[in-house]
Amino acid sequence: MPRGTRKNVGTPRKERKPGQKKAGPKAEGPRIGVFVCQCGSNIASIVDVDALTKYAQTLPNVVYAENMNYPCSRQGQDEIVVTVKKNKLDRVVVAGCSPRLYEPTFQSCVSRAELNPWLFEMANIREFASYCHQTTPEEATEKAKDTVRMAVAKARLLQPLKPIELPVTKKVMVIGGGIAGINAALDLADMGFKVYMVEKTETIGGYMALLDKTFPTLDCSICIEGPKMVDVGRHPNIEIISYADVLKVEGYVGNFKVKIRKNPRYVIAANCTGCGECRDACPIEYPNYADMYLGVRKAISIPFDQAVPLTHTINRDYCIECYKCVDACGAREAINFDQKPEEIEVNVGAIVVTIGYGMYDPKDLAWTGYGRFSNVFTALEFERLILAAGPTGGKIIRASDGQKPHSVAFIQCVGSRDINKFEYCSSFCCMYTLKHAVMLKEKYREAIEVYVFYNDMRSNFKGYEEFFNRAQKSGVKFVRVKLENRRITEDPQTKNLTVFGENEDGKPVSAEAEMVVLANAAIPSQAASELAKILNIPLGKDGFFVECQPKIRPTDTEVPGIFLAGACQGLKDIPYSVAQGSAAAAQAACVLSKGSWTVEPLVAKVNEELCSGCRVCESACGYHAINVEKVGDKSVAKVVEGLCRGCGICSSSCPMDAVTMPNYSDIQIVAQIQAAMERKLKKT
Amino acid sequence: MPFQTLKKDTAQELSLEWVLHIKNYKLNLDKNRCAGCQICSLACPKEAIRIEKRHKAQGEKAQKAKVDIDLSKCNFCGICDILCPYGAISVTVDGKHLLSVLDKESFPQMIRDIKATASKFPMDRDKSEDVCPMELIKVHFSTADGKPVEDPGSLNESERRALKVDVEVDKEHCPCCGICEAKLPQSAMHVRKLLSGKLAIKSEKCPPECTDCLDVCPINGVLYLSDDDKKVHANEMFCVYCGACKVVCPVDEALSFKRTRVNHTPVRSGAWNKALERLTSPTDLTKELKAKGSLKTRESVKKRIGLKGEQHA
Repeated sequence: MPRGTRKNVGTPRKERKPGQKKAGPKAEGPRIGVFVCQCGSNIASIVDVDALTKYAQTLPNVVYAENMNYPCSRQGQDEIVVTVKKNKLDRVVVAGCSPRLYEPTFQSCVSRAELNPWLFEMANIREFASYCHQTTPEEATEKAKDTVRMAVAKARLLQPLKPIELPVTKKVMVIGGGIAGINAALDLADMGFKVYMVEKTETIGGYMALLDKTFPTLDCSICIEGPKMVDVGRHPNIEIISYADVLKVEGYVGNFKVKIRKNPRYVIAANCTGCGECRDACPIEYPNYADMYLGVRKAISIPFDQAVPLTHTINRDYCIECYKCVDACGAREAINFDQKPEEIEVNVGAIVVTIGYGMYDPKDLAWTGYGRFSNVFTALEFERLILAAGPTGGKIIRASDGQKPHSVAFIQCVGSRDINKFEYCSSFCCMYTLKHAVMLKEKYREAIEVYVFYNDMRSNFKGYEEFFNRAQKSGVKFVRVKLENRRITEDPQTKNLTVFGENEDGKPVSAEAEMVVLANAAIPSQAASELAKILNIPLGKDGFFVECQPKIRPTDTEVPGIFLAGACQGLKDIPYSVAQGSAAAAQAACVLSKGSWTVEPLVAKVNEELCSGCRVCESACGYHAINVEKVGDKSVAKVVEGLCRGCGICSSSCPMDAVTMPNYSDIQIVAQIQAAMERKLKKT
Repeated sequence: MPFQTLKKDTAQELSLEWVLHIKNYKLNLDKNRCAGCQICSLACPKEAIRIEKRHKAQGEKAQKAKVDIDLSKCNFCGICDILCPYGAISVTVDGKHLLSVLDKESFPQMIRDIKATASKFPMDRDKSEDVCPMELIKVHFSTADGKPVEDPGSLNESERRALKVDVEVDKEHCPCCGICEAKLPQSAMHVRKLLSGKLAIKSEKCPPECTDCLDVCPINGVLYLSDDDKKVHANEMFCVYCGACKVVCPVDEALSFKRTRVNHTPVRSGAWNKALERLTSPTDLTKELKAKGSLKTRESVKKRIGLKGEQHA
C-alpha cells in the first residue's frame, strides 16, 4: 500500500512549540520506545548506532531506546513485544529500513503487544543514511539522528486508527480468454468462485488455438488447449461472455461494477447447436482472421472447428441477407437478424486481466519485402500453412506458383530488438522458429534446405536448449547475422528470394530461399490502451500493463483487486502464461476467499462543514475516489474509501482545508518539519 | 504474402480483386458494355456501387454515367454480375465464373428467353447480323459438305438455298430488346423481355434541344429525335428498361420510368426480394410474392395449425 504525502506548508498554524513539550513532565505525555536496527552491517557499519540510541534517549517523551540486530526477525519482534509491555510504551519507532517493505511487519508486531498498529512510526535510516552516505559515516549518523528525531516528533502526535472493512462480492471476472485467462478462470472456478470470462472475439482460445504445434515437445496445440476450452465452456461456475467489450469499470477491490456490451451475433446462442447447416447454405465468403487471411470463412460461421462457445456468428459486413441460413436452421430458430447490442452489468470482487498480445505488421519494414514479395510470410501465416486443419490442408505452398518450396529461410527479430521499432525482445520467436525449422527438416529431410538468420538464440527454459541442439542435429543451417543491414531481394522471374546480412566480422553473408518466414515482433494488444483507461491501471513505455512490483508482485497491479497474467503484462510463452494465470487466480482468491477486505485507514477524511463543494479535490484525485454529492441543500465531497489510496493530493489541493489525511495531518507534518529544522536553527 | 485488396480503374475497365493465399476473387466491369444504367447500384446488397452522373459541357453530347465500386464494401457476391442487362460485369473466383449465390439459390438466374431459328434467317450476312444494335448475332453459312461460305451473296439462287445456316447469339451480353425479332423475317428470332416496365417522355417538359436520354441509350431505335418538334420520343417496344436515360435526364417530370418485372428463375431469398423491391417497387415485389406465395402461405398455415393440434394433443 503506497504511503506518504506531500503537503505544501505555507505559514504553520500556531501550535505547541517543541520546546514547550520538552518542558512537560515525561509521565504525562506519550511513552515512546525507539528501536534502532543494526541490519547486520548494512546500517551499523556506517551509522554509529550506539550514539544514535543514546541520542534517541534524550528526545522528549522517549522513555526507552535500544539498538538491536534485525528487529524484523522473529526474535527481534518478540523482544519488541516484551519491551513494549514491560515499559508500558504507547508509541513505537523503529529506525531501520523502508516502510514500504517492513511497516506491515512491525504494525502486526506492535499489535501483538496490544498496541494500535497506527501508533507505530518508521524512520528509514538505511536508505536515507547508511546506504547513501557510505563515505561519510559521521554525517550519516547526524542524518540518522535527524530522521529519528522527525519520526519521534510525529510519533508523539499519532492517533490510533481503526482499519476499514469492505464487503467482498465472491465473484470474479477474467478479461480475455487466451491460455492465461483459461487457466485463471478454471482455477478460480474450481475453488468455488463464480467466474465471468469476457472475450472480445467470437471464441476463447487466443493465439494458442491458432497454432499447429507447441515447443519444445511438438504437441498439437489445439489438442492440449481444446479440452481446456471445453472445460471452461462446461464448467458450472464459469459464464463465458464472448463477442463482448468491457465498457466501464466502477468501484474498488471486492466491489467492482463492470459494464459489458455483448455484440450481436445475430444468432441466439441458446438455440444454436453448432451443427453448421447454416454455414453450408451460406453463399458468401470472406477472409478469415483465424487463418491469418490466407483462407476464407462463410458469412455465417465459426472461426475454427474447436471454437468455444460453439455459436455461429453472422458477419453483417459481408452478409447479403438471402436468409438461406434461416431456412437451413429451420425449427431450431437460432437466427435472429434483429439482434441488437446488449449492455449488461456484472458485480465482481476481483478482476484478472489476460488480454494477451498482438502481432506487428512488418509491411512498413521495407527491407523485408513483406507485402511486395509474394513468398515472404509472417510466422503466424506459416503456422496456418503447416496446420493440417489450415487453409491449405497442411500443405506448405508458395503464393507465386503453388509449389512446395525446396528451401526456406527464417529471419529472426523483425521489428523486435530494434530501438526504432520495438526495443524489447519478443521472447518466444527463437523457440517457435526452432519449432518450424525442426518440423520442416524432420518431415522433408534432404528435400528441403532450412536457414535460420538469427542474432542471438534465446533458449533459456526447461528443455529449450536441448531443442536447439535437436534443430542443429537435424541439419538446420544457422546463420548468425547482425540486426543491421539485413535485406531481402526477389528474383522477378523465379520469385525466389535472397537474404543478405552481415556476420559478426562485418563480412557479407547471403542465402537463396524459395520462401522466407519472418519472426515479426509481438506487440501489445490493440485493446490494451483503452482497457488501461477503463481499469485505471498503468501502461508501461512498451505498451504492456505494468505490474505492481516486478520481482515479488508480478501479477498485482497498482489497483488492489485487479491482477495481470499472461502476455499482456510482458511477452511470455505458453508454460509461463499458464503458470501466471494460476498465480493471478491465487491472488484473486486471496481477495475473494475473505468475507471482507481490510483497507488501511489512511484514507482522506472530509470535514463536511468546511467543504464548499468546489470540486477541486474531485478533479485532482487520480483514482476517481472523490465524488461531490448533494447532502441536503449543500454539495460536499464524499470519499470512496475503497478507491482512496491515501496520496493526499485532495488534502493539499483543498482551498478550505476541509480534507485531512489521518496520521498525515498538518499538525503532524509540521511537527516533523520543525523537528527536521531544529538542529540547524540551533546551530545558527 | 498478406491478404491484398486491389483496385484498377482504366478507360476500358474497372477491376477489383481480393488476393488470398489460396483463393482469388475478381470483379471486372467492362466499361464499353456498361450503359451507366444504375441497375447494379440499386441491387447491390452492400451498397458498394455508386453511379455518378458526368458533367456535361454546353453543346456537347451527354455521356453515360460513371460506375464506381467501393472495394471496402464489395464482397464479390456477384449479384451485379447476374443482374447487369448488358453483361458488363463479371465476377470470378479463381478465374472461374461460378457464382455461389446462384449455386446456393440465394439469388435467381436471369432468364434470357432468346430463340433463334436458323432456317428462317435470310441468306444474307449483313441483313442478319446488322439488325442487332449490340452486334451479338453471328451467322455462319456453310455448304452441304461443311465448307464455310463467307459471302452468300456471291452465290447463285440454288446454291444459296442449299446452304446450311448456323446462328450464334451471344446471350450473356444480350439485354433482350427484341429488335432482331421485329426486323428479321417472322419466327427467325424469338425474344422475351428480360425486364418489363413503363417508359414515357413528356416532350413538353423537355428542355429545349436536350437529347441527353437519346445520347446515352445504348439501343439504337428505342429513342428517336422527331423531325416535327425536334424533341426526343420513345418507342417503348424495344426498350429494355435499364434506366440509363432516367439517370441522365435533367428534368424529373420529363421522363417517367419504372420497372415492373424481372424475368427470373424461381427462388426464395431475402436478398432477391430486397433487390427486386429496389429495382421495381414495393407493389411489384408484393405482386411477385403473392404469385409465388399462395402455395407457401397455404403450407405455412397448415404447419401452424398442425403444430397447434399437436400441442392440444
